Amino acid sequence: MQYIYQGESSMNHQRIHRAVKLVSASTLMLGMLSWGVGLASSASATTATPGVTAKSVTIGATVPLSGIAAGYGEVSAAAAAVFSYVNSKGGINGRKINYLRKDDCYNINALGCTAGTGVTTLSQTQALVTQSHVFADVGSLGTAAQGTVLNYLNQNGVPNLFVNSGSSLWNQPKKYKGLFGFQPSYQAESKVFAYWIKKNEPLAVVGQIGQGDDFGANGLAGLLAAHLPIAKANQLTYDANVTSPTLAAGLIQDISTLKANKVNAVVLDSIPPVTQAILKIAYNLGYSPQWLISSVGADPISVATPLEVGAITLDYFPSTADTANSWNQWVTKVIKRFPAARADFPNYFTGANAGVLDANMLYGASYAVAFCEALKSLGKNVTRAGLLKAMTTVRFATPSQTPLRYSATKHQGLLGGSLAQIIANTNPASNPQYIKLLGNAEYTTGDTSTTPVITAAPIVSPIPGWLS
Amino acid sequence: MSTLLTSRIMTDVFGGITSGAVIALVALCLVIVWKSTNVLNFAQGAMGMFATFVGMNLVFHDTNYWLCLVLSVATGLVVGGLTERVLIRPLYGKPEINPIVVMVGFLGLLEALVPAIWASSFNTVPSPFSQVYFQSHGNTVLLSPFVLYQIALALGVMLVVALLFQYTTLGLKMRAAALAPEVSRLLGVRVNRLLTLGWMLSSGIGALAGVIVSTGHTLDATNLDGIFVSAFIAAAVGGLESPLGAVIGGLLIGLAQQFILNYWSANLAPLAGVIVLLISLAIKPQGIFTRTVTRRV
Amino acid sequence: MKWLTTLRDARPTTSRALGITLLTLLALLITFRLSALDDAKLASGAAIAIVVVGLSWLIGWSGQVSLGNSGFMAVGAYVTAIWANHHATTPIFVTLLLATGCGALSGLVLALPSTRLRGPYLAGMTLAFSFAVVPLALNFPSVTGASSGLTLNFLNAPSWFAGLFTGPQATVNANAQWSADVAIVVAAVAFFFMANLFHSRTGRAMRLIRDNDVAAELTGVNLPRTRTLAFVISAAYAGLGGSLLTLLNGSVTPQTYSIALSILLLTLMVLGGIGTLSGAVLGGLIYSYSDNLVSLVNKVTGVNPASTFGANLKGIVFGALLILTMLLAPRGLVGLGSQLVRLFAQLRNRT
Repeated sequence: MQYIYQGESSMNHQRIHRAVKLVSASTLMLGMLSWGVGLASSASATTATPGVTAKSVTIGATVPLSGIAAGYGEVSAAAAAVFSYVNSKGGINGRKINYLRKDDCYNINALGCTAGTGVTTLSQTQALVTQSHVFADVGSLGTAAQGTVLNYLNQNGVPNLFVNSGSSLWNQPKKYKGLFGFQPSYQAESKVFAYWIKKNEPLAVVGQIGQGDDFGANGLAGLLAAHLPIAKANQLTYDANVTSPTLAAGLIQDISTLKANKVNAVVLDSIPPVTQAILKIAYNLGYSPQWLISSVGADPISVATPLEVGAITLDYFPSTADTANSWNQWVTKVIKRFPAARADFPNYFTGANAGVLDANMLYGASYAVAFCEALKSLGKNVTRAGLLKAMTTVRFATPSQTPLRYSATKHQGLLGGSLAQIIANTNPASNPQYIKLLGNAEYTTGDTSTTPVITAAPIVSPIPGWLS
Repeated sequence: MSTLLTSRIMTDVFGGITSGAVIALVALCLVIVWKSTNVLNFAQGAMGMFATFVGMNLVFHDTNYWLCLVLSVATGLVVGGLTERVLIRPLYGKPEINPIVVMVGFLGLLEALVPAIWASSFNTVPSPFSQVYFQSHGNTVLLSPFVLYQIALALGVMLVVALLFQYTTLGLKMRAAALAPEVSRLLGVRVNRLLTLGWMLSSGIGALAGVIVSTGHTLDATNLDGIFVSAFIAAAVGGLESPLGAVIGGLLIGLAQQFILNYWSANLAPLAGVIVLLISLAIKPQGIFTRTVTRRV
Repeated sequence: MKWLTTLRDARPTTSRALGITLLTLLALLITFRLSALDDAKLASGAAIAIVVVGLSWLIGWSGQVSLGNSGFMAVGAYVTAIWANHHATTPIFVTLLLATGCGALSGLVLALPSTRLRGPYLAGMTLAFSFAVVPLALNFPSVTGASSGLTLNFLNAPSWFAGLFTGPQATVNANAQWSADVAIVVAAVAFFFMANLFHSRTGRAMRLIRDNDVAAELTGVNLPRTRTLAFVISAAYAGLGGSLLTLLNGSVTPQTYSIALSILLLTLMVLGGIGTLSGAVLGGLIYSYSDNLVSLVNKVTGVNPASTFGANLKGIVFGALLILTMLLAPRGLVGLGSQLVRLFAQLRNRT
């Protein structure tokens, strides 16, 4: 056998010599290069607080704008629209908000990802912190994705607000002082689903298909905390990182199992494209249980199949069909007038669903409004410590129909929502009503089996005067 | 009969054959290339998907499914031939790592090139046959017209290849060229041309595998990646030399996957290949279907 | 300069230690001038360089092909994360050693059935191994955290070090640079051992096997044992690199250690130069700065980085570079460099 670099075996010394020369040469070159880089970066002036100048506050988020979870892109796009709207009115206390959205592809660099090869949530977050010097990370998305950076942001003292995920990871105020969630925990959501099942289908055999990370695990934990008996064989997971044929092979098996075990109520903790795949495979297998779909994976426009009609979900915003709701009117106005790009809202400006608000937009608008409210309460003196204090003291007014409240010991965010049913999922001719709220009630609860589900009337917070 | 068809065992057998047939097909491609040129084609899956994209992407522009399929296979043939001529020919007689590295590079190149050319969408390639599974007294038989089509296509291609090698002069020449290139050359066989033909054939079949896997799913450049690894192991189980061994190895791995999926854990299905490989190595390290050959130095 | 040559011949180990120490000091000095982002890049580049040099040793010196090094990295990475979560006070060097040991052990387990295999079979076995890593991690969520993986604290700069920094970004800069410095020191130690290994008895035996295993056996080299040793060392380096990368990333997720990483390692090794230390260093730098290379290509060609073409440019450039390197300059950048040096020397001699 011959080798390519054969013939120099007797030249050990020369080889080392050459190696050393090469290493030193390359290090020197890199060094000289970096000298310039270092000088260049030290030239940019900053005040005492990163990201804050007399005229502006720079904040950022790592969110999926392409790839498997790109459908969530309009969440942060709606937030960006709110910030542009606020800036058009002179900003907050004279400072404009500069919102940087970095594409991290949900930390899954696969199909459709245009963030670039090798881009991760960590690398994008590092860029936000070390290059853009953001004041805070606001509205970043994804359970597994954000789980990889919470220590980084914490250790570097960067506030990490309104993480778009229902994981209970964000509710650890002792360990992570600067970390705040936004939506109800997946446990709480599952407990409300369990409440519905016990009330409406008390004899149902229950199963769950969850994403193979904390999203699915927390969802299951909530069902079990509500004392729903779920056989081990009916607790199933999927891996979001695999290709479509591989995903389908696993799902066919899972759904066949549920069908064979005569499960007639299935809770899905899945993202919209997977929800769609599950519903289609179940149809092909001739299986039609009562579906209960996490708010995260139920958006009818993203799921895009009429098979979803009849499914139960949780909604913590007013029904988007309620055109009389003042927040719905306000968000519609903001998105119509201040989109960074019309392409940010692929279904809003063109196509059969043009002009239809969806829950993603209300979500993004909600946390953007909340951030503005917190920032406004600080007055002229904007610091990170001040912001964290404001998070637990400000009484936020957002589109959400359950109150958004944080305290020194609770950083989760919303505590529940209303039960809703998907009633249409085809292109509506007029007055789109995708989701109908079931009854005029809000259900709130905590994560553990000891916190009961509490029923209350939904609230509509008045829009602050300076916003309208 | 009907209870047998819907039983758990038969469900697994159907599922296993469905995935095993494609693994076997790709394994067959690897064996054809290995036999003719002693190259391990790490880009087999990516080449197949590239060809699949050329054809099947037109489905989204209202082109007939069958026309797209033919176009994909035709592209596969061309890509295979070009690859052998441009990338592999300069490397004959070089250390075995060189073609491995080149094909790994080609794999990376193609898997980046495909999404660069065809902006990936989450559109599903429509199936020409119904994907609804047959039902028997309320129970599912894990077969649908679409699944039958997949299996029939894969097995049909294997049969054609077997006939080609066994009963045609071309097949005889190809076998001769692979076995004893120097003697064949002396006997007037145009060996170089046959080597190219081997690559074309393998790449064309690879394209067909890509079409089978992608129908009913989203088109993605990496659709064949997992299958390639399984196929590689299947080919190794058979000894890399034996087409029949590769096909049997592929079906075995498909079945093993399905049984692991059903009785153990869905997450562990990819381990099927490792397990089958370990067992076969324990039985016969040179591959189940090879004659022992003394290595010349 | 004559004393240098004398030292090199009389005390090769000392001179190697001296050389690497000097280079390390230089690299540490450089980190003081780098931005926090460059520090972070350099740190992960150092971790990758460790793995690449281990792979380079296996392929370049023992002639065995492995596509399983991402799997060994995963072993080191998970050991680190699991250990750090239970014993937060362990000094990182102990954690690194532990991960190295576990990497070596996993290498031994895989080597026992594999080293009897040759060429394609070995590649297949190691490929199967790295393919098994993600499923195994997913299947034991209580240990591995499934696809969320595990998180641990990032390397925080100690207070004496952090005290050197001022300004609003002091914490960020101090932490980033501390990580880079730790990574560089770890890499330097690993490279020192590898440099000695190259010139040890084992190293010579290895090369003999690579070039002609029958002849090697005739001269008394124990083939299976030497091959296994090469495999174990390579796995140990991968374990160390994976461990370091985990400490730098503050998390481990199974998808990081997919087959794609094995392929990337092979790419970096070939581009740098198979079987050389400097090739591995270059591989690490290419890993860190490939983004800059690609944005340069973007700038020159005017390709929009946000377009689908631009997003995939890195993969295209890397794939094409790998093919071209193998076809035109199979000894990588290092080989190209020494060819240039030789060319210059010839030209000088002629005049």
